[in-house]
Amino acid sequence: MTESSYSVSGMACGHCADFITEELEQLAGVTAVAVDVECDTVTVTSDRDLDIADVRAAVEEAGYELITAHG
Amino acid sequence: MSPFNDTGPKQFIADFYLSFHNDLLDSGEDPGVIIDRYHTADVVQIADGLRMDREKLIAHTRPVRKNRPSLRVEVHDALVDGEQIAARSTLHVRYRKKTFAIDTYVFGRFTEDGRMRQAHMLTRTLPAEVPEEREVSA
Repeated sequence: MTESSYSVSGMACGHCADFITEELEQLAGVTAVAVDVECDTVTVTSDRDLDIADVRAAVEEAGYELITAHG
Repeated sequence: MSPFNDTGPKQFIADFYLSFHNDLLDSGEDPGVIIDRYHTADVVQIADGLRMDREKLIAHTRPVRKNRPSLRVEVHDALVDGEQIAARSTLHVRYRKKTFAIDTYVFGRFTEDGRMRQAHMLTRTLPAEVPEEREVSA
């Protein structure tokens, strides 16, 4: 299992968390998504290494901006 | 002078939500300019315990503009005292192909020219459309 954290801007509420989670859960290998709206952080658990470009695209599809990946 | 005198408190809140929303979606203006039209520079908004300042409000305009939600506002009750307002509203939203309604309870402070200085909000997402209760619809 791999766990990666990302800084994401634009989140304000539980709906924001839901929309980002929906998009990230569609990525192959993703097993869990945890969103901390107050800290602008999204943590993705997966059974394989994820391509940062795929994660960024999913976050942007939901309308938000991936700022940094924390690994 | 109270910011709520011109239209009355219920219409003020409905207009605040809708005008802000429509300006974001209908104009290409810089988000900061729009945020500043409706909020003071030191605005603090706490919604369900989550704190938003001007910077966070600006950041949140990005998903709103991308997803272009539709919004209808019902204000059920609104009470004012000077610069303060307390209101109970239902926001009917269509966002990312989902339709839902959010009961919103807000205690806010506004400037004389109608900009939000501070707001504490509690929200509750409703599972389905609520029965009709139309005091003010906008």
